[in-house]
Amino acid sequence: MESLIAVFIPIFAALINLSTPGEYVNFGVISISAANFVVVILMTVVFFLAIFLPFPGKKERTK
Amino acid sequence: MNNLANQKDREEAVRGLGEDQDMWTNKVRRRIYGKLPPEKLLPDRQPSYVSSWIYVFGILTLSALVVVIGSGIVLSLKGPSWWHESPEGHFINSVHLWSVELFFFFMVIHLWGKFFMASWRGKRALTWMTGMLTFLGSVGTAFTGYLSQQNFDSQWISTQAKDGLNAAGVGSFFNVLDFGQMLMWHIVLLPVVVVAIVVLHVIMVRVRGVVHPYPPKGAKDYPADDMGWTGKYSRYDIIKEGTIAMTVVVLLTLVFSVVFSSPDEKPLTLESWARSSPTDFVATATSELAGTSVAASYGYPYNTVPGSGQKLGPIALPDIFGVTIPVDPANDFVLKPLSTDLNDPSLANALRAYQASSSSQKTTWLANYSKALDSATVSNGVVKVSSGKYGSLPAMMNSLLTMATSGGLDTSLVSGNGFYGTDYTKPLLFLADSQYMAGIAQKDHFLATQWGMMNETGNFPGQAWLWLYTFFYQIKPFSSSGNADVMVWATMIVLSGVLFAVPFIPGLRSVPKMTRLYRLIWKDYYREAEAESKAKV
Repeated sequence: MESLIAVFIPIFAALINLSTPGEYVNFGVISISAANFVVVILMTVVFFLAIFLPFPGKKERTK
Repeated sequence: MNNLANQKDREEAVRGLGEDQDMWTNKVRRRIYGKLPPEKLLPDRQPSYVSSWIYVFGILTLSALVVVIGSGIVLSLKGPSWWHESPEGHFINSVHLWSVELFFFFMVIHLWGKFFMASWRGKRALTWMTGMLTFLGSVGTAFTGYLSQQNFDSQWISTQAKDGLNAAGVGSFFNVLDFGQMLMWHIVLLPVVVVAIVVLHVIMVRVRGVVHPYPPKGAKDYPADDMGWTGKYSRYDIIKEGTIAMTVVVLLTLVFSVVFSSPDEKPLTLESWARSSPTDFVATATSELAGTSVAASYGYPYNTVPGSGQKLGPIALPDIFGVTIPVDPANDFVLKPLSTDLNDPSLANALRAYQASSSSQKTTWLANYSKALDSATVSNGVVKVSSGKYGSLPAMMNSLLTMATSGGLDTSLVSGNGFYGTDYTKPLLFLADSQYMAGIAQKDHFLATQWGMMNETGNFPGQAWLWLYTFFYQIKPFSSSGNADVMVWATMIVLSGVLFAVPFIPGLRSVPKMTRLYRLIWKDYYREAEAESKAKV
């Protein structure tokens, strides 16, 4: 069992190391970490994509 | 024919015998069946306007919640220390973290979508309100999760959050410095509440159905918001949609966990503090003994200090409960630990001499020693000051320093006075008074002035959903007020109430209609309905 876990151990380590000194975005009174900023931007982009993009599949419709 | 017969049999079975109609069980069964028959609970048709990507974020949020709970169960099975000690445990913690991030990500988009649909229309206010309760309950659950991490992030968050909670009076019985209490809230009490509200929310959605679009141009005989849909229906495979959503969430969580892992900056200890910054340790301990530290002059719920609490107008909320978590820094952090060191006769003498001296004498020694520590030097683990009148303070403080560097003080300050201990109120309050902890927090961008509450160590996303709470601390009148914590809390409670009561607030509830974003959400429906209406004309 332990040897099986050892095989998978490499995937338990991060491929991209985020444990590095934090980057921050500052404008005026606002100071936000780059990671949080990316999350907020992504959230906004996904929201607008969700309402703009056509929903696939013309489904069978009934009264 | 067969189906109809089956349906009739089922309805008869639900109705039961005439003589049983007054039974509570019979009444509840009939009510449940009437409100939520199986075809409503697991529908295979939806109104045709349910044709937008925005509708998938509800099921994505639910799927993320399942992964959060699943990974949380694994972490619970192995205990709170496991993920710090093994790569497998750390991986499961990463799954837990990223599923939480996805849960909030999807939930916020779901919330935005439902707001711009004005989804509370047609007697659906309770659906909206249970959704808001889920959001607020989830913020609390995530917050206690951050407090239960047992790393530097949780240490700092707890020492900062205590001020807001104490100022609001909540800290008197919800002690964020008590790891055991926070862990129980995180893994038992709050998840039970959140899951119960989510179940209620989903039932409300199934009972009431999804809200109709606002009427299209030229619509005639358009059903009222609270009536059933009279237009077209489309095929809808709820189980298939749920399976796809779950697959997407699991894949995203695994990818994020493998690629980014999760943070775990080692917690500070009194030992690491004393070893790294002995002068700061001794200076802080001296201020605890002198009663000039933040902890010593804090007031409720730790100790009684007249005029110390924050006030909301004329009301000091902590005063309602008084001292509920007794902490006497001079005794608890310094004198009591020193009195347990029975192997050092010179320390016993120093302690006896200090305690026998007059109050004014103690004050003079403490003031002199505090000043002298500004230019202290450290040699062989001993903090040395220039000669002066300090009484037995140098001997006492260096003994405390030795005790701390040996790790003895860490165990001594964990409450419980026994073998087991989970309450870190005292060591955390002591640490929070140090320059050492604040210096590390500043490097991690954790200070209140740095929007610290929503940050995580390194480059990991943190509690971005606390942005508004954190924002208020940056602006006046909050930033310049001595009552900032209670003011921010009061403001957040009012704003949460507003969010909760949107369906009933004139003006605010009409914002979706005014912004007309709903025209984009239901664009397929409007295009078809308005083309049909034109063709008829």
